[in-house]
Amino acid sequence: MGRTLPSITQAFIQEQEAFARFRRALRRADQLALDDLFASARQHLSATAYASHALPMETFLLSMLLEQHKEVLRLRRELDELREALRG
Amino acid sequence: MADLTGWLLDLYEDDDEGVALWLLGDDGERHRLRQDFPVTFFAAGDRGRLRELWSWLRRHPLQPHLARGRRRDLFREEPLTVLSIELDSTIRQPQLFQEASERFPNLDYYDADLHIALRHAARFGSFPLARCHVRADREGRVQALRVLDSPWDLDPPPAPLRVLALQPDCDPAHTDPQALLARFEGQDYRFSLQPERSLLVNLRALLHRTDPDLLLTSSGDTWLLPRLLTLSREQRLPLPLNREPGLGVLQKKEGSYFSYGQIIYRGQQVLLYGRCHIDCRNAMMWQNYDLEGALETARITALPLQVAARVSPGTGISSMQITTALHHGILVPWRKQQPEQPKTAADLIRFDQGGLVYQPITGLHFDVGMVDFISMYPSIMVRSNISPETPFPDRLVGSDHPPGLIPLTLAPLLEKRVALKQRTLSLPSWDPRRRLDKARSSAHKWLLVTCFGYLGYKNARFGRIEAHEAVTTWGREALLRAKEAAEDLGFTVLHMYVDGLWVQKEGCRQPADFQPLLEEVAACTSLPVALDGVYRWVAFLPSRLDARLSVPNRYFGVFQDGSVKARGIDLRRRDSAPFVADTQREMLRCLSRAKEPDALQASVGAAVEILRCRLKELHTGAVPLEDLLVGKRLSKELGGYRVPSPGARAAKQLAAAGKTPRPGQRVRLLFIRGKEGVCAWDLPGPPDPQALDLEYYERLLLRAAANLLQPFGLDECTLRVWTCGNSGEQLSLPLRAWCRQREPYRMPLQPLQNVLKDCS
Repeated sequence: MGRTLPSITQAFIQEQEAFARFRRALRRADQLALDDLFASARQHLSATAYASHALPMETFLLSMLLEQHKEVLRLRRELDELREALRG
Repeated sequence: MADLTGWLLDLYEDDDEGVALWLLGDDGERHRLRQDFPVTFFAAGDRGRLRELWSWLRRHPLQPHLARGRRRDLFREEPLTVLSIELDSTIRQPQLFQEASERFPNLDYYDADLHIALRHAARFGSFPLARCHVRADREGRVQALRVLDSPWDLDPPPAPLRVLALQPDCDPAHTDPQALLARFEGQDYRFSLQPERSLLVNLRALLHRTDPDLLLTSSGDTWLLPRLLTLSREQRLPLPLNREPGLGVLQKKEGSYFSYGQIIYRGQQVLLYGRCHIDCRNAMMWQNYDLEGALETARITALPLQVAARVSPGTGISSMQITTALHHGILVPWRKQQPEQPKTAADLIRFDQGGLVYQPITGLHFDVGMVDFISMYPSIMVRSNISPETPFPDRLVGSDHPPGLIPLTLAPLLEKRVALKQRTLSLPSWDPRRRLDKARSSAHKWLLVTCFGYLGYKNARFGRIEAHEAVTTWGREALLRAKEAAEDLGFTVLHMYVDGLWVQKEGCRQPADFQPLLEEVAACTSLPVALDGVYRWVAFLPSRLDARLSVPNRYFGVFQDGSVKARGIDLRRRDSAPFVADTQREMLRCLSRAKEPDALQASVGAAVEILRCRLKELHTGAVPLEDLLVGKRLSKELGGYRVPSPGARAAKQLAAAGKTPRPGQRVRLLFIRGKEGVCAWDLPGPPDPQALDLEYYERLLLRAAANLLQPFGLDECTLRVWTCGNSGEQLSLPLRAWCRQREPYRMPLQPLQNVLKDCS
């Protein structure tokens, strides 16, 4: 409303729609995984807006990586805990 | 010569010259006074054209006093050379200005279209219900006027207003009323609408006997007063609605307008002279703050009471800015001429943003502190001196420039709001001043909120988008500093929303535990900050469309004192049926009784039991039809719908029955079975209860319940199985898993197949 530039949510939706053809050609299982990736980028929309980069897609990709890395850290910790439990 | 003291009730243009004032005297009398009050407006622009205007005005029959002068335009560095046009007759000024602007359209006009009450306020410091001391001669001409109090006093002396309440015996939009109910000083009256002549005679006698200062009506603007006026004309029996003899009432037409992304409908208005009329159904913010709030809005905006009750807070705040400008000799432009300044793409990307709105960590959280900046944006405007004419601030607090127009206008309002808020907190819950303070403080809130919006509104007289952006820029900075302070002290930030943050830390349960954080935030932002409360628990809900996504403004929680706060769920939505909203509210109240996480399990069971009972009531026809009504707002003209929404379909039925629903109006409807799907409530005949689409209402109710119980692991599907079967078994919930979820990860919602198997 009354804005010159699209909001970050609008920019996000535009970027996601730009990959519609790519998504269509993926296998169903891969499509669902891709949707998960986009959903994870959405978790950091406010930070992306605050960053104010001219091309927000880079920040969206970084947000996906960030969520992936958090997942890796979590799995690694869980694995450590399981190992610990097995040893004990 | 007489000396009078009393309250200023009304002020308007006198028919002859100057203004008419109505004073509620300390002697109990209502005095009509007249005051000389010449009004001035200005023209500026090309010298030749200005000269032509001057010679035209010299020959004008109204004979204005003309002079050349230099005045300050807020948007120019140097004072402006202006032609000042002064007129003794206040009532003819608009006409003179209109003629001048039509004849000389390419000149700039200033102070040209201002409400007479604002001009008076700027000159004498007057406002509605101000205590005044007046010296007047025998003919009631004011020789001297002194205002004895200020709108910023915390406890204004209550004015002895005589209030006559009038309302029809039912909603005239729904059925034809049969009688008129009146109430004056605790005494009730009932007048039958037929025969018309005796109604008028009785009402006339009542008005003469009680001589009210304020007519407080329901549907007075849209139905009652227009109808009484028509009757009075037909029966040739004058009705003394005005105190001022010989003047007709002022009728303003209905209209729809676009504001903040919504179409808003405003019914026609009926304004009186020497007496105020407020229609509580047509007053803008009535549901937020009732008569006390309307009185407070009038006092601080200086607009007459009946106008202040009807205008939007935006008009209220512009009025305050106009009074400040007039008081400081700053020109008030008739039409704004400043376009947006050119800027680089990088600046545009950086500054064209609003407040920071985070995606919360969804799920259920215990012992959460809610930290809030007090009136964040207005505080920033005042402390960083943000105004259209001041340069972009280079820091959060402090400025090297003299205070601008906006900070000058806002500072006393902000101070009063903070003082009232602090006093409310210190008063015991039974103190009657609490309710008064709350109504006043809510009136202030809306004025302050819109003040920020008006800075960015392109048609606002004192708006400038760069100033609007400066406010959000420093708002984002303050919130980020608060986040950093919280994380430095070991808190987890669960959510942030423009001017508040939700924080959690192991071992922090009492308000005192959050005190160090408040001090740190206040120190690093220099803005006033407060702890809104500590939640026993709060649940942030995911998006309705995709459970993987969290959304900023859908949550509910319970504070330590047991009070509930909810946003974005059915009980807050204006288009929820009362039956659905009430059930959800009752379930939430039930959940709120659990003091400890362990007690929640039992509360969830009890909430499901409430749902089961309500569903049974729905199917046995025990729910009154009024409770199933849904109010849908029309967003456009009926012809504009390509695919008619339920609201539009109901509006079409009304149109076919001869009524005229307007954009912005709410159409009340019932959902029924059949092709139409809906049935408008305000149709002439009663609806058929057998036709109700109970399955649809059941779906609405289950969805509302699922919104509430989803954080406890129950979705719509599970609820349907539980409540529709008659399983009386003990409910076992995967609740502990949710309580323990403190990790900053989002857990996907598990389908509760296992729970289902246990129960069926």
